[in-house]
Amino acid sequence: MRTVITVFRKELVDTLRDRRTIVFMIVIPLLLFPTLFRVMFTVQRNQAEKAQAKNLRVVCVDGTAGRFVRMLEKRDDLTLVPNVPADSVSALIGADSLDGAFVFSATFADDVAEMKPARVDFYYKSADDSQIIRDRLRAIVDDFEEQLLDERFQRLEFDRSIVDAVDLKSHNVASMEEQVGRTVGGMLPYMFILFCFIGAMYPAIDLGAGEKERGTMETLLTAPVNRFHILLGKFGVVVLSGLLSATVSMVGLFVAFKQSKEIPPEFLAVIVKILGWDTIVLVLSLLIPLTIFFAGVLLSVSLAARSFKEAQSMISPLNIAVILPAAIGMIPGVNMTYATALIPILNVSLATKEIIAGTIRTPHLVLVYVSLITLAIVSLWGSAWWFRRESTIFRS
Amino acid sequence: MIEVQDVFKTFRLSRHQKREMGSAFQGNTVDAVAGVSFTCRPGRIFSLLGPNGAGKTTTLRMIATMIRPTAGTIRVAGHEAARHPEKVRASLGFMTNSTQLYDRLTASELVRYYATLHGVPADAYRQRRDEIFAALDMEGFADRRIGKLSTGMKQKVSIARTMIHDPGVLVLDEATAGLDVLASRAIVDLIRRARDRGKTVLFSTHRMGEVGQLSDDVALIHRGRLLFSGTHDQFAAEMQAPSLEDEFIRRIEAADR
Repeated sequence: MRTVITVFRKELVDTLRDRRTIVFMIVIPLLLFPTLFRVMFTVQRNQAEKAQAKNLRVVCVDGTAGRFVRMLEKRDDLTLVPNVPADSVSALIGADSLDGAFVFSATFADDVAEMKPARVDFYYKSADDSQIIRDRLRAIVDDFEEQLLDERFQRLEFDRSIVDAVDLKSHNVASMEEQVGRTVGGMLPYMFILFCFIGAMYPAIDLGAGEKERGTMETLLTAPVNRFHILLGKFGVVVLSGLLSATVSMVGLFVAFKQSKEIPPEFLAVIVKILGWDTIVLVLSLLIPLTIFFAGVLLSVSLAARSFKEAQSMISPLNIAVILPAAIGMIPGVNMTYATALIPILNVSLATKEIIAGTIRTPHLVLVYVSLITLAIVSLWGSAWWFRRESTIFRS
Repeated sequence: MIEVQDVFKTFRLSRHQKREMGSAFQGNTVDAVAGVSFTCRPGRIFSLLGPNGAGKTTTLRMIATMIRPTAGTIRVAGHEAARHPEKVRASLGFMTNSTQLYDRLTASELVRYYATLHGVPADAYRQRRDEIFAALDMEGFADRRIGKLSTGMKQKVSIARTMIHDPGVLVLDEATAGLDVLASRAIVDLIRRARDRGKTVLFSTHRMGEVGQLSDDVALIHRGRLLFSGTHDQFAAEMQAPSLEDEFIRRIEAADR
């Protein structure tokens, strides 16, 4: 145990003094979400404000809807472009010369008078911020339709409420915790898993292939200590790095939530509430064996590689093997079953989601633990086997 | 004392390695060391000579228990290497030109790390550390990170790391290769001091000047086989060429014929 602690302490100091590892382990997980949220919301807000404030260039084709045209003329948030033929509106909107066009049918006025559905073709370009522009123009038509409907009901001397045959009032009994838990619960495990892997990746490469490449491994192996104990010390640092990275990413996400004005405070309060200590401890108890599994795989690959660069290129494809099952866990409808409880990574993703939502079942949880602990032991055994092999350590 | 008796080391070749050996090579294995025997005694300096790829590093790594012999016996300080590798390593100071140091640790941190791994008690560590650091004039850079040190300073840290547990046996694999005269001198002084204190010293080198200057005993190895093993005086007496270097080349070429 003395050797394990000695190696662990030395490797931890060495790792914490490595700028590259610190960037991947702490800086990126901490800054990713606050930066992402800020950029995303700022760009989104600016685009929305621009689209809202924009003076729209609109065309009305066919004069039988003179009343609608007069309605548009009164508005100061749009400009009516005159004399545009119906067959060229699509091209002009496509080229961004126009923001929208209303093409009224030849019988529009007659249909309105006869209380028939009167046809209007509405042309717009739906992409990016044009959604807002489309909604603005659509709202004008909706207002116009409301006016026409009111007139029709008055002519018929009907009360408008007669068309409401059923007065449906919806009541969602799901608590705010459940609703938020479902949204956040899908995303959190994905992030936990990903950062556990990314955080463990660089220390694993550095303490395996990096040490071989720098020639310090041979020096270390001259010490009168058991190789397995050396490996355990290294393992400890890799596991700690993965867990630290996941924790830091959570802090980063929390900071991002707090900083963001777009997220309602009650939503944030619910997140704080559902992420209680019992949830955190339970999730951590899943992440520890998962990170040991990652550490075993990463260290095995790293020890097999000749150089830091080779280890990096060997480990890069593994990112997909981690992201894929973690992302599958986010898909609605993929639920915890006795089968999915045994699939590594996916099981952590699903179990974390269920823990956050408070719906985890004990037999499922036990199966997840059995699966993860077995894998953790196998990966530890595997990396120990690699570390004992002469051809691995002295591969050049 | 180091006793090497009829030691073999056979490596299995990968497909890639077989391709590198050329089409003339047949078989799946290569004998890096084949039936090597020699004895290094306390208070004497033993030089292991041989061209590149002769099997020197493999032999020294087997002595240091980093790799296991395929056959044969190695005993270091009375401990059988195959049975008690940790006891062998505890009594051994091993240094090569490729054994590097941790750049992100300071000289003091690194030496303390190896002292702890070797199980040196705290008070003994302090005493030995002060002695070695004073002898090698290391106090001026003791708290600087190794990555910032010059090659000569790093060499001193390497020596301190090798000697901190006061090993009875020193194994140095081309430890002076690539070093300038001043840095090499530190290694040569280390070897001399170790011999004077009754330690067993085994070193491999390419520098024939060092062999003539330091060796009590000599072994010449080529293609994994021992071509000569005896005292330096015997080697000199049997010389058919005018210098040590010429004699070294003569014996290698004779073995290749």
